[in-house]
Amino acid sequence: MPSLQAGYAPNLGFYLKSLKAQPVESSIENLISLLKRRQITNSRPCAVATAHLLLQVVAKFRWTNIDKLIERIQDVGRRLIEAQPREMVVGNIVRRVLGMVRDEAKEDRNDDASDSASNSQMGSPRQEHIDQGASHLGGPPPNFSPLRYSTTDDSDSTEANGDDVFGGKPQAASRPPLITSHTSYAPAGGLPPQKSMFQLLSANPSPASTPSGAQSPHNTSNLNATSLSHRITTSTKDLKAEVIEGIEEIVDELDQADDRIAAQSLEYIHSNEVILTHSSSRSVQKFLLEAAKKRKFTVIIAESYPNDHEATHKSVTRSIKTDAEGTDELTTPKFSKSLSDAGITVILMTDATIFAIMSRVNKVILATHAVIANGGLIAAAGARIIAKAARVHRTPVIVVSGVYKLSPQYPFEFESLIEYGDPGNIVRYQDGALVENLEVDNPVYDYVPPDLVDLYITNIGAHAPSYLYRIVADHYKTEDINFDKPELQ
Amino acid sequence: MPSTDQPAPAAQAESATPSQQSEAAPKLTGAELKKQKQAEKAARRAQAVQGKVTPSGPPIPVQKGEPKQQKRRGSVAVSRDLPVRQPESNAAPKPPPVEDKTVEFFRHLSKPHRKTITGTPKDIHPAAQILGMQFSTYEICGSTARLLATLELFKELVQSYTVPPRTTLKLHFTTHVLNPHIGYLISFRPLSISMGNAISWFKREISKVSIDLSDAEAKNMLCDAIDVYIRERVTFADQAIAASTTEKIRDGDVILTYAKSSIVQRSLLQAHEEGKKFRVIAVDSRPLHEGKNLAETLANAGIEVKYCLINGLSHNIQDATKVLLGAHAMMSNGRLLSRIGTALVAMEANDAEKPVIVLCETVKFTERVALDSIVLNEIAPADELIIPGGALEGWRDVKKLQLCNPMYDVTPAEYIQMIVTESGCVPPTSVPVLHRLVNEPEIQ
Repeated sequence: MPSLQAGYAPNLGFYLKSLKAQPVESSIENLISLLKRRQITNSRPCAVATAHLLLQVVAKFRWTNIDKLIERIQDVGRRLIEAQPREMVVGNIVRRVLGMVRDEAKEDRNDDASDSASNSQMGSPRQEHIDQGASHLGGPPPNFSPLRYSTTDDSDSTEANGDDVFGGKPQAASRPPLITSHTSYAPAGGLPPQKSMFQLLSANPSPASTPSGAQSPHNTSNLNATSLSHRITTSTKDLKAEVIEGIEEIVDELDQADDRIAAQSLEYIHSNEVILTHSSSRSVQKFLLEAAKKRKFTVIIAESYPNDHEATHKSVTRSIKTDAEGTDELTTPKFSKSLSDAGITVILMTDATIFAIMSRVNKVILATHAVIANGGLIAAAGARIIAKAARVHRTPVIVVSGVYKLSPQYPFEFESLIEYGDPGNIVRYQDGALVENLEVDNPVYDYVPPDLVDLYITNIGAHAPSYLYRIVADHYKTEDINFDKPELQ
Repeated sequence: MPSTDQPAPAAQAESATPSQQSEAAPKLTGAELKKQKQAEKAARRAQAVQGKVTPSGPPIPVQKGEPKQQKRRGSVAVSRDLPVRQPESNAAPKPPPVEDKTVEFFRHLSKPHRKTITGTPKDIHPAAQILGMQFSTYEICGSTARLLATLELFKELVQSYTVPPRTTLKLHFTTHVLNPHIGYLISFRPLSISMGNAISWFKREISKVSIDLSDAEAKNMLCDAIDVYIRERVTFADQAIAASTTEKIRDGDVILTYAKSSIVQRSLLQAHEEGKKFRVIAVDSRPLHEGKNLAETLANAGIEVKYCLINGLSHNIQDATKVLLGAHAMMSNGRLLSRIGTALVAMEANDAEKPVIVLCETVKFTERVALDSIVLNEIAPADELIIPGGALEGWRDVKKLQLCNPMYDVTPAEYIQMIVTESGCVPPTSVPVLHRLVNEPEIQ
């Protein structure tokens, strides 16, 4: 839908290029206005833009506390969602990043906990046993950690501490656990062993001192201050790298999702099938093209007039690249082969023909805009009548969608997800009298209930609609689901 | 056919048509008449052009399907080096390895449609040429309108017919005048079911003409019969249907309708005139956009109209209280053959538990049956789907790409709650019974 002909029309490609040069705040504002002006539309471009923006936010944000980072991401996420609440992928990506940050923080915390063992021993004698116990089990000492801990962790650790205290493993045990904990976390963090060794030495100037130290309380407080500030910098730097790495993984996932989905196509398409799809979707095209390498079949495409028909027509006549955002692809090669090039018979028809032709269709493959946790989906308008006609004719309906489109939101009123488009696409201003007298309705999306869908194919496999809630649970943290709606939290 | 004597009959036809239509078919509005006139003008212009172009056209062997007489005359025309029939689009000179761009499912239906009156056989009445063009440009569109126009044409044919020596109207007219003209009309667009019914009725009428009548008497009798037929089967039928539909519309109703049906439009307008307060949701689709016309008419009459395309159907069906549909034909197994997309509307209405009411004159009933929309249908030229300036303009150059543009689809009988006819409101199961009663009186 974004117009590419105008050379300066801002689109995803331009936006991504501008990201590195601009300050973060203006990048955020930029994306917000792009979303508001619908210059970036459709789920994939929105997801890519959001992920790249969050990458910059994390990279350029100076933070000392993991909560600050989470707050910052939430804040940016809220603003983006407010800009375009119906692009649900924006929220999805923010939630994915949040969840990933929380995971990293948790891991890091466990690291820290073992690190802090060396410091904690210099703490007040009263705490000594508990701290040692905590270090032994990877639990955190509340007072000395640079990070704040979530309640779950606390309860875990206190429980563990209790056990340990009563189990009575005093000083002697303190050193070996330190090492084991390092080795176990080393692969994830990379640096920790050296870092903690260094800390160990620097924290204890006397080489002879044993972990049971704390001979001079005076000395300890001094050391404690320096080590704390030092640890803050190292751990945040470390965590930052991990978070950035995590976001990059999400970006990679966005890039590869279509290919992963396409790789499964041969399991679902056999020779001589008649497949109905509608509008133009990159995921569906790739899916069909992959199958076309091995098999010959017929594809019927409903044009999805009046909002997507131009893109559909262009994709079947390959007069442009199918990829609407053009220059955005940083890594993957451009996708320009059309289905008919691949030797598939392509039949283009109007949306009204769906019922007439459905009796000859073997499978319906739908692209989607967003998938909701109940297994329903939001897709280009017309998808619902296709799915219904398919049910009437007992034709299986397959939805291909990247996991990133899967949203944890569960709206109780589906109308709220439907966006209405330009009525000028239906009644043009040339029809002056009509414009005056008519109420014109042009929904862009349809809600398709889960009972009309037989199968979802995502980049992580194929699932029944009833199973999607489980995938949602795997990908998002419950505390992030309603982060944009404080009243629900 | 020398181009010089063409304007005269055309003008005659033009002067004759409006007056006849105004008395016999009051449902044609002024706008429609105007359009018709424009089309006639266009047709005449095309004729003039043809007069210049055709002499250079290559002589073409006559088609197989035509009656014998035409063959003879066609060959005469060639020998005289006069304008001859142009190749129809199916005979278009293409190199043999050209890809078949028709859709496989509909290949049995894919017939090329005549687009111009270039190459019209010599003895085709000018009024038929005009009508053919009007069919092909959808100036006259819709089952009832086409039926009326065809019957008017038949009247014209009867009136301008002179019985050749040593034969009678009864023996000569059907084979030598009526059939070629019907064939000619089919070359523009296939017959509608209602036209088929009317043609078989008219042929029965001709066969019933008593041999004792003089030619003039016989002609008058046939013209009167046509007038009666139109009055009974269309004019009064429409009045009756509109009256009983109006009864069913209540204050506060939201009527959803699809594309444009003349009888639906008439009923809604009548209900509005009677002071009923209701809203209309007009659903429409590409490529004909007939519903726009309906929406405009209703809105101009002061009815609150919401207009959407078929993509907005699922959003609007919940608001509707009744669904009124027009028909192209009612099949004997209770299924409805109507404008492509009607089945979707009926399906959604059924799903949302809204009553689906079909308004249909009995002249559109047929003894034929249909299970799906593929066996029995009409395929419009694929090029009609092209949006000017759009990417589809070069679709013929894209290998393995086909465009599919059927005209009708078949709505399952279980989606239809009621059929309003002039003989009363019946369920879909009663279609064959009613059809036997009214369309085949001889059987009883």
